[in-house]
Amino acid sequence: MTYFVFFLGVCFVLGILGVASNPSPYYGVVGLVLASVAGCGWLLSLGVSFVALVLFMVYLGGMLVVFVYSVALAAEPFPEAWGDWRVLGYVVALVVVVLGGLVLGGFVGSWGFGVNTVDSVGMFVVRLDFSGVAMLYSRGVGMFLIAGWGLLLTLFVVLELVRGLSRGAIRAV
Amino acid sequence: MSPLHLSFCSAFVLSGLGLAFHRTHLVSALLCLESMMLSMFVGLTMWPIENQTPSFTMVPIIMLTFSACEAGTGLAILVASTRTHGSDHLHNLSLLQC
Repeated sequence: MTYFVFFLGVCFVLGILGVASNPSPYYGVVGLVLASVAGCGWLLSLGVSFVALVLFMVYLGGMLVVFVYSVALAAEPFPEAWGDWRVLGYVVALVVVVLGGLVLGGFVGSWGFGVNTVDSVGMFVVRLDFSGVAMLYSRGVGMFLIAGWGLLLTLFVVLELVRGLSRGAIRAV
Repeated sequence: MSPLHLSFCSAFVLSGLGLAFHRTHLVSALLCLESMMLSMFVGLTMWPIENQTPSFTMVPIIMLTFSACEAGTGLAILVASTRTHGSDHLHNLSLLQC
């Protein structure tokens, strides 16, 4: 089980590397979907199934929107996949920077394989993530209201940004 | 540092480096921001799992809300700059050219 979760962690890092190595946005979205699926399986394996479900639904919905935007606005006649030399150069440079940071920071020798999980103790006990997220509506109602107010503010920010070429926040000069 | 901590820390560093390097499209810079948010979400969810703390599990949900705000604003900026500049390439947005 430890190795399975570690395998999902490796898939997560590979998906993020596929985003960060500057391919065309189509393939970047594919890498981010791979990373979100691997992260969802990772959290699900550790036992927090509700948070993993929220992550999966929110990220796949958001990534669908971003994929439509990238198809509509960043269309290229020759998209660059991960096999191109420039993207491979980015991959090599990023891996070298991260591994060099690990070696220079002294993180290499101090490995440990401890993985903690959340266990369910039956159907009559509310598990950790369910009770914690439900606490957002009782104890954490202040942050709940602040987050809702932030979403409402974002609505008006978006409307003001895309208002038009002559009136909004960004104008043609 | 266990391998899972190494996974999300290196994912965060990788996506931050990818944002810092030269990006061709504004969409892929936004994708790097999204992947930073994803690794932060996983890292913040690992914390209550390891400490068995129920009340901390609302923190990644709140952070996901604010990352949705960020993604919406970023896509609005993408649409607006595509309208004013003709394409979403980042070299159009450089301040050093007139």
